Amino acid sequence: MKARKVKALLLAAVMVMSTALMGCGGSEGQENGTDNQETAEEDAGKEETAKGDASEGEEEGDVVEVSYWALSTQQDYYEPVVEAFHEENKNIKVNISYYDTDGMKDACKVAASSDTLPNMWFNFGGSLGGFYVDNGLTYNLNDYAEANGWSEHFNENALALCTYDGVISGYPNGYSILGVFYRKDLFEQCGVEVPATFEEFEEVCDTLKANGITPMYAGGLNGWHVMRYVELLIEHYAGADAHDQMNTFDKSYDDENVTKAFEKYKEWVDKGYFPDGFVTMDANDTLMPLSTGECAMTMEGQWQDSNIVKNGLDMDQYGAFAFPSGGSNRLSSFADMTQFNAKNTEEELDACVTFLDYYFSHVLDYTDSYGLPMPTLDSPMPEGQPNVGNLIKLGQENGTFTITDQAFPTEVADVLFNCQDAIANGEMEPAQAGAEIQAAIEAYNNK
Amino acid sequence: MNTKKKSGEKTDKAVWLFLLPAGIIYLSVIVVPVFYSFFISLFKWNGIGEKVFVGLENYMKLIKGDKVFYTAVRNNLIWIVLTIFVTMTVSLGFALILNKSFKGRTFFRGFFYFPCVIAPIAVAIIWRWIYNPTFGFINDFFEAIGSEFSQTWISDAKVSLYAVFAASLWQAIGQPMLLFLAGLQGISADILEAATIDGANGAKKFFFVTVPLLKETFVIVIATLIIAAMKVFDVVQGLTGGGPGDATQMLSTYMYSQVFQYNNVGYGTAIACVMVLMMMLVIIPYISITAKED
Repeated sequence: MKARKVKALLLAAVMVMSTALMGCGGSEGQENGTDNQETAEEDAGKEETAKGDASEGEEEGDVVEVSYWALSTQQDYYEPVVEAFHEENKNIKVNISYYDTDGMKDACKVAASSDTLPNMWFNFGGSLGGFYVDNGLTYNLNDYAEANGWSEHFNENALALCTYDGVISGYPNGYSILGVFYRKDLFEQCGVEVPATFEEFEEVCDTLKANGITPMYAGGLNGWHVMRYVELLIEHYAGADAHDQMNTFDKSYDDENVTKAFEKYKEWVDKGYFPDGFVTMDANDTLMPLSTGECAMTMEGQWQDSNIVKNGLDMDQYGAFAFPSGGSNRLSSFADMTQFNAKNTEEELDACVTFLDYYFSHVLDYTDSYGLPMPTLDSPMPEGQPNVGNLIKLGQENGTFTITDQAFPTEVADVLFNCQDAIANGEMEPAQAGAEIQAAIEAYNNK
Repeated sequence: MNTKKKSGEKTDKAVWLFLLPAGIIYLSVIVVPVFYSFFISLFKWNGIGEKVFVGLENYMKLIKGDKVFYTAVRNNLIWIVLTIFVTMTVSLGFALILNKSFKGRTFFRGFFYFPCVIAPIAVAIIWRWIYNPTFGFINDFFEAIGSEFSQTWISDAKVSLYAVFAASLWQAIGQPMLLFLAGLQGISADILEAATIDGANGAKKFFFVTVPLLKETFVIVIATLIIAAMKVFDVVQGLTGGGPGDATQMLSTYMYSQVFQYNNVGYGTAIACVMVLMMMLVIIPYISITAKED
């Protein structure tokens, strides 16, 4: 009887330990059991096989096999191009696995800690891509870029956003400029025009609100969409130079202009400039409230035009302008790129770049909805998507700053997001936010 | 006698031999990672670079000054209480109803179990729309019946945890309901009939016959519900991501942020170890007491 009790206790203990701790095994560990991570693990296995196969292939002098982790939102673009690429390049085989944005981040982290990164993977610029550079996991592309004339091929800003401490660490995939997308017909209906100053912008919001239209959509679920408004308010009150210095941690966030920015944000929340419950709404749903006329504006990048096309909406109803933050009305921007495994052989790197060059020069043959422009100097502008060219031009004329969640490390960005939520819900005074963010910056610097 | 002993020895060896493959797998994919996790929690490590031994510093940091950790612990405890009182009660209620004989019983058994087979992340997406203050079903429903009641649900820090729990409840009742149903079917009709003959009414039969006979089912249901409550992740991550602010932060979501988003692998693993410790503090005395009563 006693033995049975002991057995029961032991079983209970093992059950508890195994269910809770299994996911946390460090380098071998997987965490939350999502499909993506399972896929990551499978792919890590495939990766090993692929590398093994590639080596065999190289020895035979025929096929170099490389693995690539790409965004699932681009799967439709990649698939026909890969097929055509394989037809034309019998000596290279590209195996692509697809992940959504957050799944990609998790999969790469797990693979990085278990030394199973693919030959190349999608990543964002700034602090997200910087993690892999700082830990020596990415290929130093300086020599390759010089030998292949990348400076004459890529947009200077896009290449700069893939460069860390002078080291080019990624192949630029995209370069995005963010502006205010708005419904032209709703503006007309309410008798307002595109605002030229901050004060005019608020007048437009007041008028829209008085006409029963929520001025701006914000999807705060993951924080970064609301951040796009907050960073422009900081730009407005602090000015461009101070904002840049704050984002590079050269100036404290515990600043009266940050307080003013959060006070204005709170004022907008209280006035109902954003939809009820926006703090947990999905940032991926920005188009729906605009298309139904519930909201009149949202903060998006030039890719919004391709979403408008894909969803069969009337492009004539949508326009974009630079948020009138003051000064030159700078716009936020960010880059995304493909990073290459530092352990790639020269043949593998060549195969990877050959594929990417092929992809970016052929993808437009297969789709009308690709989110142009490309990060190249001679990138075509998409037909029927007027806001793309408009925003790119505004970015060149007004100047840009790096979007905050790429400028900040994730743990600091999350504190900013929490401040946004807490202020919106009245649980934090705007004056506290700057100090909280600065404390997170200092904690990060002292790690 | 000798033959019996020899045969027993042979059986023992065969048992160990058959257990060996499973044992090796269990050791390598569960037991070793569990202990390795504890080992990692003693280091400051970003998951890639060099590990720096810090002893119990990660634990001290958690206990001494991490406000989010305490929020997560409180939320997990609230979740456990809600799970035991609400999930268990509702699932037992459904099991009692579905144990009765009526037309369409099989259909309703499947109907109420159905949410259980949906991926929790899909549940989160479904309920995000149900809770949407502008387009969502609940607020629209109140509007349709002429009520002015409107709520921002998961965006309101005061109610978000309960709103997320309600969403998870929809899915969580299936499994315990099934266990209760199995337990109820194991109760002999003769015993209930005897109680009726002795003059017991419905409530008396339930509290003095059914509940005591379901004791073993309760043990397993409560134990699994507590474990599930401690490691709840998907539905929270999918619905609120731990927000607004940290209002719905759970130990699992906080651990996830630390390990996968902030690259604080040692610190995040320490959170996982604390989770285990907390579960043991609840589950082991519970199993111990119930085993003693047996």
